[in-house]
Amino acid sequence: MAKVLVVADIKQGVLKGSTVELLSKAKAIGAETAVVAIGSNIESLIPSLVDAGSDTQYVADDPGLELFSAGPYASCVVDAAKQFGANLIWFGFSESGKAVAPRVAAQLDAACATDITDVMLEGDQIEVIRPAITNKVIQRVKVNTGQLVAVVRAGAFEATEGITGTENVVKLSPPAPDLKAVIKEILSEAGDEIDLADANVVISVGRGVKDQAGIDLVKELANDLQAGFGSSRAMVDAGLIPHYKQVGQTGKIVAPTLYMAIGISGAIQHLAGMKGSKTILAVNKDTEAPIFNVADYGIVGDLFEVVPILREEIKKIRS
Amino acid sequence: MKILTTVKKVVDVELTIHVEDGAIVEKGLQYVINAWDESAVEAAVQLKENNGAETTLVSIGGEDNIDIIRRCYAMGIENGIHVNDPALAEADSFTCAKVLQKVFEKGNYDLVITGKQAQDTDSGQTGIILAEYLGLPCVSNVIGIGVIDDQHIKVSRLGDAGTEIVELELPAVVTVDVSINEPRLPAMRGIMMAKKKAIDVTDLAALGTSYDEVGGATPKSDIVEFTVPEKREGGQKFEGDAAEITAQVVNLLANEAKVI
Repeated sequence: MAKVLVVADIKQGVLKGSTVELLSKAKAIGAETAVVAIGSNIESLIPSLVDAGSDTQYVADDPGLELFSAGPYASCVVDAAKQFGANLIWFGFSESGKAVAPRVAAQLDAACATDITDVMLEGDQIEVIRPAITNKVIQRVKVNTGQLVAVVRAGAFEATEGITGTENVVKLSPPAPDLKAVIKEILSEAGDEIDLADANVVISVGRGVKDQAGIDLVKELANDLQAGFGSSRAMVDAGLIPHYKQVGQTGKIVAPTLYMAIGISGAIQHLAGMKGSKTILAVNKDTEAPIFNVADYGIVGDLFEVVPILREEIKKIRS
Repeated sequence: MKILTTVKKVVDVELTIHVEDGAIVEKGLQYVINAWDESAVEAAVQLKENNGAETTLVSIGGEDNIDIIRRCYAMGIENGIHVNDPALAEADSFTCAKVLQKVFEKGNYDLVITGKQAQDTDSGQTGIILAEYLGLPCVSNVIGIGVIDDQHIKVSRLGDAGTEIVELELPAVVTVDVSINEPRLPAMRGIMMAKKKAIDVTDLAALGTSYDEVGGATPKSDIVEFTVPEKREGGQKFEGDAAEITAQVVNLLANEAKVI
């Protein structure tokens, strides 16, 4: 029987949705499930780890694990993977997952695949599906080692309703700190903004919004809809939007229910970050913009004219 | 400070990729320097200019990698190592990391800078695995590098909770995001000079290793098939009076797509 160890995605003390999605997939393929949770003061998360569908919970709870540090986090995952005898180790899509997964694979001498969108098991044989070349091709990858460490692409697996697990907590001993890579501080620009990874609606702006006034105009729409606010690379490079808001191949990958691309032409790198969205709305004045090739609904027009009308019409239809 | 940067030649992602019978059609493909590696090179050159570092690049690949090595020379890299071994044509992240480990161990470097991923595989593993093999500290997704002293650098990394500031003891490995800098266009003089510069060509035997030792014969995974992703079809496009078409679209979002 396959054994899947899911690395809990915990941000600011909150368990993120990807954890239940990954555990749901693990149960769906008939695997035995465990979760490894790493952080400081995370004991209170144990009930939600069980509810997310895990049957064993490896918990590394230590003040030294408060700030993310790839080395110690990898040690915890390796420890849990060995104790559990995991043959599949899954990370949700996050920067910490991408940083830790290759370390864990190297230490376990396991195969490693990032960005997977599906997994197939046949006996002991593991195969995964993943996009490559900026989403231009899909690879089917056969694992030769019997053990795979993978980062799962955002939105690839769906949470099963009514999933649950059993409580069986195993405490991990705290890992040695990484004295050669010391995290000094985290400059959090995000504050209490809506996390792009969690938002049901994501609204992103591109070069078309021109300047801060344009950004503010679209932000009003985002506020109305409680939407995550993202951006194309052009706006980040122009210094108008902070890095962590960039949606695309080199930034965040999002798959919300509704994605609105406002003034974004649709370079392939951007499309690679949002093509998994359920519904896409694009507003662009250039009728030839590539974004319209992937948008379910396209409005050809001046966004400065369209966005205020969008706000009004959405308010109207919701009331 | 001695810096080693790694440079991969990759398929140009801007062009259409054709797939036939589960494989990528080679004909018509064009190859370019990996964009993330180009940023790694620029970061190394800036450390040379601002902090007096010595810069070396290594590139694993065939004869046609020479043009990207010369391009990096023209950007300001001083030394080039070309690992040209036909056995490595299909090398994966683990094998490349083993080869790079051998290169590193021969050179006594203080800092390795790689791109955070290559745009052909989009895997983002090699630099991190190299650090594991070397037992060196590593920070990935770096967007800024500052020198503290001979033994320490300070890097900023795009993390999940914000920008993480990490102090690294050298020797160390960092993998950089493209947003770390805007790679320079080589000047004509640099391009002319680069043509005459020597390249240190090497292979597995000269690095004191073998195909088996770097894991070439025992890959941990194999790509068994390529396919083309399901195309997301464009839907309805509306042109005309802004008020009218916007109202129409909002109605569809609510009643057809049921997303608002």
